[in-house]
Amino acid sequence: MRWLWRIYRLLWRSDRVAMRRGLALSVAVLVAGAALLGLSGWFITAAAGAGLIGMGAVFDVFRPSAGVRFLALGRTAARYGERVLTHDATLRALANLRVRLLAGIAARPWRQLTRMRGSQTLNRIVADVDALDGVMLRLAIPFLAGASTLGLGLMVLAWLVAPVVALWVVAVLGLGGAAGLGMAARRSRRAARRAEAAMQALRTRSMDMMRAKTDLAMLGVLDRAQADFHNAANRMEAARAEVDRAEHRAALALGLSALLAATGALGLGASLTQSGTLTPAQAALGFFAALALAEIFGPLRRGMADLGRMTDAARRVGRQLDTATVSHDPADVEGDASHTRLSLQDVGWQDNNACAPVISDVTLELGPGDMVVLTGPSGCGKSTILHLAAGLLHPTEGHALLDGRNLADWNEMELRARTGLLAQRSVLTRGTVASILRVAKPEASDEEMRAVLDAVALWPVLARRGGLQAELAETGTGLSGGETRRLALARVLIRRPAILLLDEPTTGLDPATACAVLDGVRTICPDSAILLASHSPVETEWARAAGGSIISIGKG
Amino acid sequence: MRHRLDADPVAQVAWAVSALLWIPQAWFAASLIAGLLQQSSTQDMTTKLALFALLGGVRVGLDHFAQTRLVRDARRSVATLRQDLLNREAGRSPSDDARPDSGALAALLTEKLDMLIPALTRYQPAMMRVRTVPPVILVLALWHSWAVGLVLLVAGPLIPVFQALVGMAAKQASAQQLEEVSTLNTMLLDRLRALPDLRLLGAVGRMTEDFRLRADALRERSMRVLRLAFLSSTVLELFSAIGVAMVAVYVGFLLLGQIDFGYWASPLNATEGIWLLMLAPAFFEPLRELAAAWHDKAAAEAVNDELDVLQAGEFLPLPGGTGRAPALQGPAHIRTRSLGVQLADHRIVFPDLDIPPGARVALTGPSGSGKSTLLACLAALRTPDHGTIEVAGHVLDPATAAAWRARLGWLPQDVHFLNRSLLGNLLLNGRKVDDPTLQSALQKAQADRIVARLPHGLHTRLGETGVGVSGGEARRLLIARLWLSQADVILADEPTADLDRITADAVTDALLDLSASGRTLIVATHDAALADRMDRVVSLDGGVG
Repeated sequence: MRWLWRIYRLLWRSDRVAMRRGLALSVAVLVAGAALLGLSGWFITAAAGAGLIGMGAVFDVFRPSAGVRFLALGRTAARYGERVLTHDATLRALANLRVRLLAGIAARPWRQLTRMRGSQTLNRIVADVDALDGVMLRLAIPFLAGASTLGLGLMVLAWLVAPVVALWVVAVLGLGGAAGLGMAARRSRRAARRAEAAMQALRTRSMDMMRAKTDLAMLGVLDRAQADFHNAANRMEAARAEVDRAEHRAALALGLSALLAATGALGLGASLTQSGTLTPAQAALGFFAALALAEIFGPLRRGMADLGRMTDAARRVGRQLDTATVSHDPADVEGDASHTRLSLQDVGWQDNNACAPVISDVTLELGPGDMVVLTGPSGCGKSTILHLAAGLLHPTEGHALLDGRNLADWNEMELRARTGLLAQRSVLTRGTVASILRVAKPEASDEEMRAVLDAVALWPVLARRGGLQAELAETGTGLSGGETRRLALARVLIRRPAILLLDEPTTGLDPATACAVLDGVRTICPDSAILLASHSPVETEWARAAGGSIISIGKG
Repeated sequence: MRHRLDADPVAQVAWAVSALLWIPQAWFAASLIAGLLQQSSTQDMTTKLALFALLGGVRVGLDHFAQTRLVRDARRSVATLRQDLLNREAGRSPSDDARPDSGALAALLTEKLDMLIPALTRYQPAMMRVRTVPPVILVLALWHSWAVGLVLLVAGPLIPVFQALVGMAAKQASAQQLEEVSTLNTMLLDRLRALPDLRLLGAVGRMTEDFRLRADALRERSMRVLRLAFLSSTVLELFSAIGVAMVAVYVGFLLLGQIDFGYWASPLNATEGIWLLMLAPAFFEPLRELAAAWHDKAAAEAVNDELDVLQAGEFLPLPGGTGRAPALQGPAHIRTRSLGVQLADHRIVFPDLDIPPGARVALTGPSGSGKSTLLACLAALRTPDHGTIEVAGHVLDPATAAAWRARLGWLPQDVHFLNRSLLGNLLLNGRKVDDPTLQSALQKAQADRIVARLPHGLHTRLGETGVGVSGGEARRLLIARLWLSQADVILADEPTADLDRITADAVTDALLDLSASGRTLIVATHDAALADRMDRVVSLDGGVG
C-alpha cells in the first residue's frame, strides 16, 4: 500500500490542476446521475399527485422538465470532459514516470545496470508502468469522486427530503461500500501477490522447458518439468480463486448495501409521508436518489479487482525510482587528449562473495599516443581491467588513477568525456546510422560520420544500404555481427576520447579487415592512449608493429 | 485442444433472470409510491416494501451465484486449455522448425490465455442480457403506452447502430492506441537495453531529454485517438440519457393531463408511470454493459486467432513422449541404413553410419547439409522420414526412443541454464552426488575455476534472472554435467562455435577426456581443428571420409 500511495502522489503532483478538474467533473457525473433520476422520480410523482387532484393545469412543468433535459445533457458532457481530462493527465503523468524511471535506472551502479540488460526484468518494468494507469483512473479518482458525491448527497437529501433519509442512504452506502471494498482489498492482497508470483514462475518454467528441452529429454525429466509447470499453474489458480472469492464477497456486500439503502429510503419516505412530514414526491426523490447513488460502486469494483496487480507494479516501479547515485548532468568538459594519463598501480579486483580474485597485481601506465595490449584466454580478467580503467568498477586492491586523481573521485560526465570503452557486448539503439552515431556526438557533421565509418571499414557496406540514412531495426539487425561491432566501435571513436579502451574490437573479422579497422582507429584518434584486450593474434601482431607493449594476463 | 470457449449457460441464464426480476421489483416500488398519493393502508405498503426487498435480495443472490459460477467456470476452462497447450508443446520435437518462439509461447501460456476470461465472464453474459432484457421491457412499454414504447424503440435500435459505429471506432481506436502505447514501450525498452552503452557514451542526459519529447508527442497522438473513442461512447450515453429524460417528461405531462396521446385504452396511472420511468434506465443498461465489454471480446478474438494458427501449423512429435524410461541395454552400437529426412524445401539423404561403442566421430559439412538434423535423429529427438536407425541392437522407434535417450548426453550450441542454482543445473535429473564426485567432475571439465569465480560458487543462481557465464564457460559446466550423468554416448552440436582458439581447445580437450573414459563421442562441427582430433570424419556433402 505504501508504494501505491507513493505512485498516487507522484501521479497527482505531476498535474494537479488537470487532476482536480477531472475529479470535479467525475463528481459532477455522479451527482448529475443521481439528480436526474431523483428529479424525474419527483416530477412524475408530483405530476401524478397534481393530476389526481385536478391541479395539472397550474403545475409548473417548465422548470422540472428543463432540469431533466439539462441534467441529461450535462451528465453526458461532464462524462466526456472527465474522461478526456483524467486520461490526458494520467498519460502525461505516466510519460513523466517513464522518463524518471529511465534516469533512475541509468544512475545505478554499473554491474547492476549490465545485469538488467536483456533480461525479462526490463520487460516487466515496462509492462508495470502500463498497469499503473489504473491507480488514478480506476482507483483514486472513482474513490474520491464517490466519497465526495456521498458527502454532497448527504447535504442535498437532508435539505430536500429529510435528514433521517439522507443519513440512512449515505451511511448504508458509505459503510457498506467501505466495508466491502476494504475487506476485499485486505483479503485479496496477499493472494493476488501469490498469483502474480506463480504467473512469473509459469513464464520462466515454460521458457526453461522450451529452451532446454533437449537436455531435459535426454535426462528423462521433461515430464517432471511439465509437472513443475502444472504445479505452478495450480498454485496460481488456487491463489486466484481466493482473490475471486474476496471480490465476489465484496460485490455481494455492495449489492446488499445498495438494496438496503434503497429499501430504507423507500420505507422511511413512506412512513414520513404517512405522518405528513414529507410529500409523496419528496419520498420518491429520496428513493430514486438512493438508487442512483449506488452507481458510485461501479468503477471502484473494477479498480479493486486490479488492486493486487497495481500494488505489485507500484512496488517494482517505485523501487526502480529510488537511489540515484550517479549524476548525468552535462559537465562542460572536453577531453584533452594531449595530456591525459591513465595509471593502474598493483590493481586487483574481487567479487564480493567469490573466493578467488578475478585479477590481482596489475600495473600499467598509459599516456597520449601509447598503446598497451592485454592478452590471455577468455575469462582471465582482461575485460575487468578495462572496466576498472573506465571507472565502472572500483579496484579492491591498489589504485586506478586518471591524471593522478582517483577514478572513483571523478565526475561521471568528465570521466565519460575522457574515456571511451568498447565493451564486449554493445547494444545499438534503433534508428538510422546517423542517429546512432549522434547518440554519441549530437553535433557530428555528415563528413565526420563518414570519416569514422570509413575508418572502421563500414562505409562501403552502408553506402549500399542508404549510407547515413540506412535504417536499422532492433539491436542493429540488418547488419552482421561483425558489422554491428564496427558500428559500435565507430560510435566510440567519433567522440575521440583521450583514453580508448577496446575489448576485442575485431572479433569476427577476417585478418585483412581487422588490420584495416585497427589502422583506422589510429588514424581517427592519433593521440589517444589505447588499451586493447585481445585474444586474436592479428590484433597482437598489429599492436607490436605499431610499437605497443603486450601484457599477458592470467595463467592460461 | 478445443479453445473456442463458451460461458456457462446456467450462470448466463441466472444473470439474465436477475436483470429481468427488476421489472416486478420496480413494480412494487412504483405501486408503493403511487399508494402514498392515494393514502393506501400501511399494511399494503409494508407488504409491497417487503416484496421489493425480497425480490432485491433474490437478485443480489442470483448475481452472486452467476458471477461466482461464471468466473469459476471460465478459470477452469482456461486452466484446462493452458494445461493442454503446454502438454502439446512439451511433446513437440525440439528439432521441429515449426515450433513457436519460446518467448511468444510463454506469453501465450501466461497473460494471453488470461485474456479469454473477461470474454467469458463479461462479454458473453452481457450479450445474453442484451438479447433478453431490452426486448421484454420494450414489449411491456408498448403494452402500456405506445409513446413510451416509441421512445425506447427509436433510441433502442439507434443504439445498436451506434453500437456498431462505436464498436468499429473503438476497435480501431484501441488498436491504434495499443500500437501507440507499444511504440512508446518499445522505445523505452530500446533505451533501457542500450542504457549501459548510453552511459559509456555520456549520452544518458541527452537521451532522457529526447525520450521526454518523443513520449510527449506520442501522448498527444494517443489523446487524439482517445478523444474520438470517448466521443463515440458519449453518443451512446447521450441516447440513453435522452431516452430516460423523454420518458420522464412524457409521463409527467401525461399524468398532469397537459398532453393526451400515446396510450391505448386509458391513460397511464401513477404506478404505471413511475414503473415505466424505472424501466427506462434498465432498458439501456445492458447495452452499456455490452459496450464496456466490447474490447474484451476483441482481445479474446486475437488470442483465439493466435491459437488457431498454432494448431493449424505443422507438428513434429518428440518420439517416445516426455516420460522417462529405463536405459536401453546392450553395447552402444549405432547403425543407420539409407536414412533420409524431408525438410521444408529439400530432402536430405544421409550416408550410412556404423559407429561402434567408444568411437569418436565428427559430422562435418556446410550449413544446411543436415548435421544438426542427423544428430537429432541419432538422439531420438525426431523420427527420420526414411530408413532405419539401430541402436544397441534395437530398432530405434517411438517404443525405444525414451530408453535410448536415457543413455545419451547432449552438448548444445546454445546452452540454456534453467532459472535455478548452478548445482541444480548440474544435477538436473535430481540425483544426489557426494562432494568429491562433484569436485572431480568439475575438475575434469576444467570448470572448477569458473565456479570459484562465481559470487556464490555452486549456489549461484544462473539463467534468466541470475548471473551470466560466457559461452566457453557454459559449455565447460555442461561437460561437468556429462561427467556426472551415466550417459555413455555424447552428442555435441557445434561445441566450439563462437569460441576463441584457446577456449575452443580447452572445450575440445574436455570433450576428449570424457570420451577417453569409454564414452562414444559424436560431434557435428564446422571446426576443422576439432574434427581432426576425432577418429573419423563423416562429411555430409559427399561420401564418408
